[in-house]
Amino acid sequence: MDVINNLLNGFQTALTFQNIYLCFIGCLWGTIVGVLPGIGPMAGLTLLIPATFGMSPTGAMIMLAGIYYGAMYGGSTTSILMNIPGESASVVTCLDGYQMTRKGRGGAALFISAWGSWVGGTLSVIGLMLFAPFLGNFAMKFGPPEMFAVFMIAFILLGSLGRGSFFKTMPMVFIGLLIGTIGMDPLTGVLRFTHGINDLYDGIGFLPVAMGSLGISEVLLGTEESLVKIIHKVKLRELLPTREELRASWGPIFRGSGLGFVIGLLPGSAHVLSSFVSYTVEKRLAKNPEEFGTGRIEGVAGPETANNAATGGAMIPFMALGIPTGPTIAVMMIALLIHGVRPGPLFISEQPQIFWGLIASMYIGNIMLVILNLPLVGVFVNLLRVPFRILFPMILLISIAGTFSVNNSIFDLGILIAFGVVGYVFRKLEFDIAPGMLAMIIGPTMELAFRQSLMRSGGSFSIFLHSPIALTLITASFLLFCWNIYRGLRPQKALWEKALEEDEA
Amino acid sequence: MTKERGGSLLFLLVGIYGLIFSSQIPLGQWNDPGPGVLPLTLSILLFVSGILWFIAGKPKGGEKTGMDWRGIAKLVKTPFQIVLLSAAFVLGLTRVGFLLGTIIYLFLIFLWVCHFKLRVAIGLAIGLGIGSWLFFVKLLVIQLPAMGGWIF
Repeated sequence: MDVINNLLNGFQTALTFQNIYLCFIGCLWGTIVGVLPGIGPMAGLTLLIPATFGMSPTGAMIMLAGIYYGAMYGGSTTSILMNIPGESASVVTCLDGYQMTRKGRGGAALFISAWGSWVGGTLSVIGLMLFAPFLGNFAMKFGPPEMFAVFMIAFILLGSLGRGSFFKTMPMVFIGLLIGTIGMDPLTGVLRFTHGINDLYDGIGFLPVAMGSLGISEVLLGTEESLVKIIHKVKLRELLPTREELRASWGPIFRGSGLGFVIGLLPGSAHVLSSFVSYTVEKRLAKNPEEFGTGRIEGVAGPETANNAATGGAMIPFMALGIPTGPTIAVMMIALLIHGVRPGPLFISEQPQIFWGLIASMYIGNIMLVILNLPLVGVFVNLLRVPFRILFPMILLISIAGTFSVNNSIFDLGILIAFGVVGYVFRKLEFDIAPGMLAMIIGPTMELAFRQSLMRSGGSFSIFLHSPIALTLITASFLLFCWNIYRGLRPQKALWEKALEEDEA
Repeated sequence: MTKERGGSLLFLLVGIYGLIFSSQIPLGQWNDPGPGVLPLTLSILLFVSGILWFIAGKPKGGEKTGMDWRGIAKLVKTPFQIVLLSAAFVLGLTRVGFLLGTIIYLFLIFLWVCHFKLRVAIGLAIGLGIGSWLFFVKLLVIQLPAMGGWIF
């Protein structure tokens, strides 16, 4: 009953004219950044952070969350119609979605994608609504040893689930953690790695590092090849799927919802992983798996549902524990911090109007997105006619203006460009940057928890063993670490990686 | 030089940098760990990772060991141009202001990087520059540098 009452209060907050408008702006902008390759939800979020300064925290969160899950809807459009993933999470949709377009069934693929996204998104919001308060209440029992243990398992999971091997991902995590130490130590005031530069006293900002290493590097990679990319003209003959296609989609949609939600809880590339895992599952369950990659509707329905369902799952650790599970969620966290709101165990109890208002707005936003992505898909497709030679300078401008807007700092712009180069180099060397970004933002909190724990125990490490929660998590971390070492010494591709290679062959 | 070895050199570089400068930060005591503990630990881990990846990144039998510098130079030419122009734009932003700076930045990108014809580059730069200014400054109300004392 509490949940229903809280949800009704949330709808009361969300259904004001201003919040509906902000939800619409977020969903629209999210769809646009999702459709346009090269601009991700992170750039889209960063750009609108200054616009939120005059808003209430609730309104700001509603709009920014709209961009986040809106981008997941928009990313599938280019995958299906042009074989170009708008977002990294939509890569796998290219395999069957584009083949459906070539067969003249692009409209049906778009419909099922939007429909699955709505179901996945809505079910994951229900999961978020039920589990986040429970986890938040549970997390209130957490002290520094427990928080350290949570972060420890989060880092091991980051290493396990990142693209590439554990041994390739962990050095990136170490680099991210090291970058996170730059600045003034919160406990002692000692300056670390600042070299007398005043701008570094508060540390390196997450936004310029993330925008540079993920956004700018993406542009640099894209410009290596020809700048003249061919845009295919697409005619959408029929938007509605056939009865067979609808019937074939239900199973993948519901399986994708569950998979995406659970995977979304894990730190790392949840959206990418959930879509790949869903594709693998559907292929394994299909009567004729060899047909995957030739235009099977299940190859679109499952992955697109999963990547949207991951949004709800990803918000749970963020809101209940204060742990962002991806770079985009980390940007939302920064936006909340700017408004003086700290996500964590006390967030839901102290800021119920923000939490429940956001939940209610996500229900509304998912409906808006279905309306935007279906009848108006032709409008968004026209955005893709903009030549890449004109698009990429605009992406650079958006990144520069967005970064400057947060602190009005030229130093931040220098960081943006520098990390653009760093990100480009690491990506050319095939090292995954995203785990480093997450490590950078949650590392300082983990260090604080560790040092506080040892201060409490007088230097004894047994404090981590006396707490059942910490002991369980540390044991799980150790076992996972050993399993990763074993897997690393006997390299074997994950099932979903093999399945993807089979289809691409 | 394999990709793994390239990565290992970066890890070694960062690890050595971390070792040098974190040794200057107090380590504290067991019951009160200082601010130097984590940086030192990470630097050691990065240094070790660098060495391990250097060993693991040994070229396999038959694999080319030489670097195709010409090929690399050709590949990175466009990204290098973009980084150079972006750095110049950032450095000149407060001097020339956002509007003029954007027009010059876009003009140079369209002409030098994208190889548009001169008139097309000028037209696109002015049009998109003014459009960007309207979008960021007027619509999103973002505070961006103005030129001199003029307020745009």
